[in-house]
Amino acid sequence: MSLWFSYGGTNREVLESLVRRFNLRQSRDFVQAVYQGDYFEGLAKLRTAIAARCAPVLSHVVGEVVPYLAEAGVLEPLADYPGVRDLDLIPELGQAGTWTKGSAHPLCALPFNRSTPIAYLNAELFGQAGLAAPRTWDELRAVAKRLTEPKAGGRFGFGCPVNWWFWVALLGQAGGSLVTESGRIALGDQAGVEALVLWQELVRDGLMKPPPGRDYNAWEQCNQDFLSGRAAMIWSSTAFLKYLEAHARFKLIAAPLPAGVKRAVPTGGTFWVVLRSAPSTEKAAAVRFLRFMHEPEQVIEWSTRTGYIPVTRGAVRTLEQRGYYAAHPNDRVALEQLSVAEPWPWSVDLFRIQREIVQPRLESAVVEQRDPSALLTEARALALEPT
Amino acid sequence: MKPSRPSDPYWMLLPTLLLLFVFFIFPLGMLIEHSLLSWDLLTPPRYVGLANYRSLLRAGELWQTFATTLSMSGAVVLGSMSAGLALALLLDRPGRWAAFVRSAVFSAYVVSWVSVGLLFLWLLDADSGIFAAIWRPLAGGRAPRWLGDPALAPWAVAAVTIWKITGYALVIFLAGLQDVPQSILEAAELDGASAVRRFRSVTWPLLRPTTLFVATTSLIASFQLFDVVRVMTQGGPVRSTTVFVYAIYEQLFLDLRVGRASAEAVVFFVILLLLTGAQFLLFRTEESA
Repeated sequence: MSLWFSYGGTNREVLESLVRRFNLRQSRDFVQAVYQGDYFEGLAKLRTAIAARCAPVLSHVVGEVVPYLAEAGVLEPLADYPGVRDLDLIPELGQAGTWTKGSAHPLCALPFNRSTPIAYLNAELFGQAGLAAPRTWDELRAVAKRLTEPKAGGRFGFGCPVNWWFWVALLGQAGGSLVTESGRIALGDQAGVEALVLWQELVRDGLMKPPPGRDYNAWEQCNQDFLSGRAAMIWSSTAFLKYLEAHARFKLIAAPLPAGVKRAVPTGGTFWVVLRSAPSTEKAAAVRFLRFMHEPEQVIEWSTRTGYIPVTRGAVRTLEQRGYYAAHPNDRVALEQLSVAEPWPWSVDLFRIQREIVQPRLESAVVEQRDPSALLTEARALALEPT
Repeated sequence: MKPSRPSDPYWMLLPTLLLLFVFFIFPLGMLIEHSLLSWDLLTPPRYVGLANYRSLLRAGELWQTFATTLSMSGAVVLGSMSAGLALALLLDRPGRWAAFVRSAVFSAYVVSWVSVGLLFLWLLDADSGIFAAIWRPLAGGRAPRWLGDPALAPWAVAAVTIWKITGYALVIFLAGLQDVPQSILEAAELDGASAVRRFRSVTWPLLRPTTLFVATTSLIASFQLFDVVRVMTQGGPVRSTTVFVYAIYEQLFLDLRVGRASAEAVVFFVILLLLTGAQFLLFRTEESA
């Protein structure tokens, strides 16, 4: 059976090694893992393949797109497959905890590489300046200012991709929500504006570098700025923890994101999905592979070699018992942030709102310094338009 | 040659017509049909009439994409033609050095677009790129964000495209220059015409068909701009480098709006048709003159 995946670098190597292990340990099923570009490229290919009736049986997709695919009826409901109900998933990382009313929908997504945004600090620069990780937005501004070196070839105090995920973190910290309890698309209302104003000020004051490029090019650029010392502190995904630790020529500290009026982070990463169009024998085999991937051995290996959060409680217990988190405090940051993780609003339009409506306006607000309030009002109106 | 049977030309044309129908006419018909639908490839399509065209116009997206494509194309056509002609005039001489430079300039043309995009992504990096390193001692302070500033990014991408395709213009202009009869140039020189005057009154008028050809090919290349945009800017920052082909790709494959992408492709097709028509008229006027 075919598995389409979207990891490059170390994460790809780890996944391929786990797939090899599955293939070697049993002779009944054979998984062929095929790389399909980054999340968005992979998703584009997956949707096109579904339309062309040549989709693989198994793939993984970003959380925001699961409701859309589920409503389109292309995902296989998984709850009735043997063993699936018994997986001891961490509730905040599974379907039930990731989306509001997620448990009210048929189970069609199992967590795989799950993350939260975290802060990465250059410990040497922080040590020299006698600074600690910022705990509030005010401290974030102050720390960024202290660590910025405005001269030619200098350094930015802070770096962060101007991306929907981090904006959702900021608007949550400012006390807002994307969709209100009554179902109104609020985009954070005033909190969404405050989140953008924070970015605007940091960029205008020369404390934060808006990285060029969009999607994952911006993330990569941000990571490179941090590794090369051009940014003293960045926000990125916990997914890059092991990569950044391995490549930083300085001591790196991971820290939770600061609080606005409260602490909040979204969860991120992808979910395994089984495509309904595949033959039933392949679908059953795909679920057997997923059960294998949720065994503690695989969950632990995936998590400790990449930086993603372990998705089962059993794996976390084992790691605690082994003293892993005591020895690797950076790995604990994202896991602990789950206590303030906010679920995504389940909506078929969420992905469209993210990609087409909000993301271009975030860029416009930060790069062109346009009025955030007007931009978000425009975005709210567009979100209500029929597709 | 006169065909032995009147039907001969038609069946001889049949394979070409068949290919044309399968790969051009039929997809074009499908494209027009899709432009009237709201469809994400996964759920059943819904007929929406001209709504896709209206929403493209209303959002101002179409005009912005058109303006971006046109300004970048203008820069690419003018830039590659001027650079190609200037280099051709400089290098239209025998000798190893000229041959080496000719090959060096042309070599960029055969490099893949993706490699060129990646190469310039590094060269244009505002912190560690070579252009930033040159900028800093000359102008002081941080180098401009060539690919991060919406006011600069389209020109940076256009400049990279010019660098890439100038070699082609150079070769065509060199061929054109070799077609200019030496006897006329010598006669002009004997009459006391300066080098500038010889170029203006002899070489340039005789190069006009070549110039038109180079203009057409570089216009086509610039309108097909995609790879370099995909690699270097992904249409950003703030859509400042979203040219037509990239906009269509984004709508279709990333946003999965088949209807809107098709509407945009239809508009692009009409624009290209008008441009080709204009060019055709220009050629005809040239020929009759």
